[in-house]
Amino acid sequence: MNVMITGAAGGLGRAMAVECARRGYALFLTNIDAPALAAIQKGLSRRFCVKIYAEPCDLTDSAGVDALMAEIDRLGLRFDMLLNIAGIDYEGGFLRREREKIVRIVALNDEGTLRVTHAVLQRRNPDARFCIVVVSSLAALFPMPLKAAYAASKRFLMDFGMALRQELTGQDANVLTLCPGGLSTNDEVCAAILAQGVAGSLTTNAMERVVRKTLDLAWKGRARYIPGAFNRLLFLLGKAVPASWTAALIFRRWTQTQKKWLYPTQIP
Amino acid sequence: MKTIVITGATSGIGLETARLLACRGFSVIATGRDAGRCKAARDSILASAPDAEVRFYPADLMRRKDALDLSARIREDLDRTSAGCLHALINNAGCAKSWYATTEDGLEQQFALNYLAGFLLTYGLSPALSRAGGRVIMTASQSHKGARVRWDDLMLTRRYNPLTAYKQSKLCDVLFARALNDRYAALGIRAYAVDPGLVCTEIGNKAGGVVGLVWSLRKRHGIPPSVSAEAFARLCIPVQHPAGLYHDRHGEKAFSRQVTAENAARLFSVSERLCGISYQEET
Repeated sequence: MNVMITGAAGGLGRAMAVECARRGYALFLTNIDAPALAAIQKGLSRRFCVKIYAEPCDLTDSAGVDALMAEIDRLGLRFDMLLNIAGIDYEGGFLRREREKIVRIVALNDEGTLRVTHAVLQRRNPDARFCIVVVSSLAALFPMPLKAAYAASKRFLMDFGMALRQELTGQDANVLTLCPGGLSTNDEVCAAILAQGVAGSLTTNAMERVVRKTLDLAWKGRARYIPGAFNRLLFLLGKAVPASWTAALIFRRWTQTQKKWLYPTQIP
Repeated sequence: MKTIVITGATSGIGLETARLLACRGFSVIATGRDAGRCKAARDSILASAPDAEVRFYPADLMRRKDALDLSARIREDLDRTSAGCLHALINNAGCAKSWYATTEDGLEQQFALNYLAGFLLTYGLSPALSRAGGRVIMTASQSHKGARVRWDDLMLTRRYNPLTAYKQSKLCDVLFARALNDRYAALGIRAYAVDPGLVCTEIGNKAGGVVGLVWSLRKRHGIPPSVSAEAFARLCIPVQHPAGLYHDRHGEKAFSRQVTAENAARLFSVSERLCGISYQEET
């Protein structure tokens, strides 16, 4: 069983890599950060007796992805699973962020996922079932002021995942779209969860459990996974309430959160 | 002047222990994660003891590379300043987390920092320790008594409970001290684990969630870190190695029944594999 993981040196990607290695899957890991990628590759190799390949790549660069695929072809690898984990967000309101950083959110989260998915689907193991996991977000369910580009990029992934799943019907393949709330992926995210107070705790899920369940559900053929009963309730509410209302509510909440978290010394 | 190394010395137990030992005439090499906080801690120690020798090396001990690089830098420092001899290494840096999170190489963070960082640093500094007949002191906790090592899932990825992970990491500290004594007594290295008691520190402040909440209530009943620092001083100051394995500031005390030679040896070999090192080659 060969699994490709993008963003494998970040919080969720790393947790996915650990769980896959524990299950005995052979791994092909990629990440933009070469030293961090080497660290997780070596760390897993010391713990688990599985084959682990690692190749750094910037998924926003089409030529880089071509080179990555050339390396995969050189190794003669064919995949059974693709975990599209690579993704970014830069916190702060639209005009507070640099233009190119905002563009980069879409370039990695959406374009990067499209590039890799397109390329790896052509390198699937032809004799076995194939699974793709797309990491969307709870943020995809609503228009989110102050995280506008991020939420929209995740909405793109949610709809893309669902549509691709339909296209692949009959080809022994499944696409699972993961829509997590908070996950304790890194210190910055933990700080954001803390700044949200009770709401942060309610929407945060245990990463190790989400990872296990995502893999299980992907193989079972599930289309979408929203971890946590509270988050599923939010999802239903989001459908029932007009988008302009949710946007206004979220704007109020995130303004407070970001004041506490990003600009703690600023006079309101 | 005898040299000691102490990790996690920018606040809490580490800072007060570094201050106390500097005041008692030890040359102190200390570490912390943040360079700015290291400088503030050094200034604070020098304010209490203006003639003290205190040097801070910033390093993020949750990163394997940082721990190994740090031990190389400290070895160079020791060669320069104290003929390569290290009197004591206090593996004190620790954290409390509310959620499962991994280090760069995929290890659970509390296990990696509270225990494995000390394992790596001791490995790096073992030549200097054996040269001086040095001591290794692990900051453990009374909470280690309620724990067992989950051998089939050391990183506790199934049913992760942050408190269980903390307790296990502290049990590992005591087991490591035991293993060092079992393996390297002949080299003159002696290891201890210290119960600092319930201490009013910042360890749980950033944990958030349930751990942060519980800690904010619990620490109100804690003793000041300067009091628990005495437990470390009691083990560093005597010329002869004090007896026993597990100490608090009043003296030797009973430890968990899980601390057996078998468990200690097993953890030691697992840790060598996790770190990709082999102690034998060095010592």
